Amino acid sequence: MKAWKVATVAGLAAFGLVVLVPFWWIASMSFKTYEQIQFATSIYVPRPFTWENYTGLWLDTRFPLWLRNSAVTAVVVTLVTTVVSCLGGYAVARLRFPGRETVASLILILYLVPPALLFIPLYRVLAEIGATNSLLALFLSYPTFTVPFCTWLLIGFFKALPAELEEAALVDGANRVQALRRVLLPLAAPGIVASAIFAFTLSWNEFLYALIFIQDERTITVPVGLNLLIYGDVFHWGQLMAASVITTIPVVALYMFIHRWMVEGLAAGSVKG
Amino acid sequence: MTTPRAARSPRRRWREAGTALVLLLPMFVLVIGLIVYPFARAIWLSFTDKLVGYPERFVGLRNYLYLAQDDAFQAVVRNSLVFTLASVALKVVTGLAMALVLHATWRWRNFFRGLLLLPWITSTVIIALTWRWMFDAFPGRGFFNSVLLDAGLLARPLAFMATPAGAMAAVVVANWWRGFPFFGVSYLAGIQAIPGELYEAAAVDGAGPWRRFWHITLPGLQHVILVTTLLTFIFTINDFNIIYVMTRGGPGTATQVFATYSYEVAFNQLRWGRGVTIAIFVVPLLIALIPLVSRALLRERTA
Repeated sequence: MKAWKVATVAGLAAFGLVVLVPFWWIASMSFKTYEQIQFATSIYVPRPFTWENYTGLWLDTRFPLWLRNSAVTAVVVTLVTTVVSCLGGYAVARLRFPGRETVASLILILYLVPPALLFIPLYRVLAEIGATNSLLALFLSYPTFTVPFCTWLLIGFFKALPAELEEAALVDGANRVQALRRVLLPLAAPGIVASAIFAFTLSWNEFLYALIFIQDERTITVPVGLNLLIYGDVFHWGQLMAASVITTIPVVALYMFIHRWMVEGLAAGSVKG
Repeated sequence: MTTPRAARSPRRRWREAGTALVLLLPMFVLVIGLIVYPFARAIWLSFTDKLVGYPERFVGLRNYLYLAQDDAFQAVVRNSLVFTLASVALKVVTGLAMALVLHATWRWRNFFRGLLLLPWITSTVIIALTWRWMFDAFPGRGFFNSVLLDAGLLARPLAFMATPAGAMAAVVVANWWRGFPFFGVSYLAGIQAIPGELYEAAAVDGAGPWRRFWHITLPGLQHVILVTTLLTFIFTINDFNIIYVMTRGGPGTATQVFATYSYEVAFNQLRWGRGVTIAIFVVPLLIALIPLVSRALLRERTA
């Protein structure tokens, strides 16, 4: 084998190790008993192997409720985001109107406004309309970061589609809405699915707004709930790791589905790092 | 392309602008109600002494002046910069290494790229909790203590997270781990966009691998390095999740950054006016950086 091949394999192994060690730590800890964790017996592999963290998590904690809250929030936010972003992205990419470039730049700037800047005033606004302490607070606040981001992505996808197809539909007597629905949307479907998955993932993983806007332990989402598992009276690290495994699986599954599109989106340098 | 558009009648142009307005309306409502209006409120709050439960009073620049000479806030500025610059520098270097390795991978490259991208899609809270435990000495020694003890490099467990330097190193590592795959994948795309003939010509001229990297690869990646660095700088200097979950800003104020300090002052001390002011201190930096990023990104779009 040539020297560069050896170096490449060594590099892949090193990066693979760095990436996989924390995942292995999560998975292996989730299958250990409380005693195994507490007294550091069988550190590297769970021996004996137990499901008790998973059953305990499901039966003794509010995790199922948190999972439901996270799922409802992510689905609602994804739907709202997709509709709003498709309409806006289409308008900016395809229609000619004064101020179009300004709108495009503004969307990008809004994507760069950090949530850390908005959480205090947003809390006040949501409290005034009585939306705090319910999932409504998240339905309203998550689009502040998903919509600019997804619109920005979709402008790119819409722009990349050939304009002639739509022009042809318009010449054939279709109106804008028909042209959008029958011609453009089916063509842009891969981009729309990718942007919806981004919206879902961002909502699913969000922490700051969920932490601040919701206090009731039955209304919180998974990322906030996970923190409760350690700051209670007993440290439930095993259950915490089991919860991490369960929470990560849906995102990894979705992401395997869009990996290729996502990488193309990344290549455009348009994705949050 | 231009002919049909130029031929459009004024009436049709008005109709098109009207359609655009209708389609953009939901986004305008959202942006004005939930971003612009709260942001304006934030600016106003920063000029008041708002305490939770009391009406606010206008105090002018008092919050800003207070923070400018507050020792804790100066530590926050320092920590934020250390945290951000260290993370970003590590991400650029390891991202380049990752891109070169993936570029040289001759089989299953997509598989490895997907595998190495996993940290980037995992919940930050989970990442922070896991790294915290891996660094911690409790419960059950944690990862680094176990490895170092078993390798005979440590005599007894060390509490990394209890020392200021150890805690800062831990949050930087967790942030780096989450972010470097994004850099690696972006740089890989950048390398793949460099024309192969450049390398062939350089090889014919007798340039070795190091010189080809220095004179072809790095200049070719200049733009994408700039964009990723600026974007990540903006997001990292405002990071909340990793630090809040791993250290709560501690020990002491050793890892307190803008967002966690703003949260602490607003929600634990209940001083909303001052809390908001802490977050607003980042705005001048954003105003300086955002046009750079957006120009770079828009250039890419039109190119």
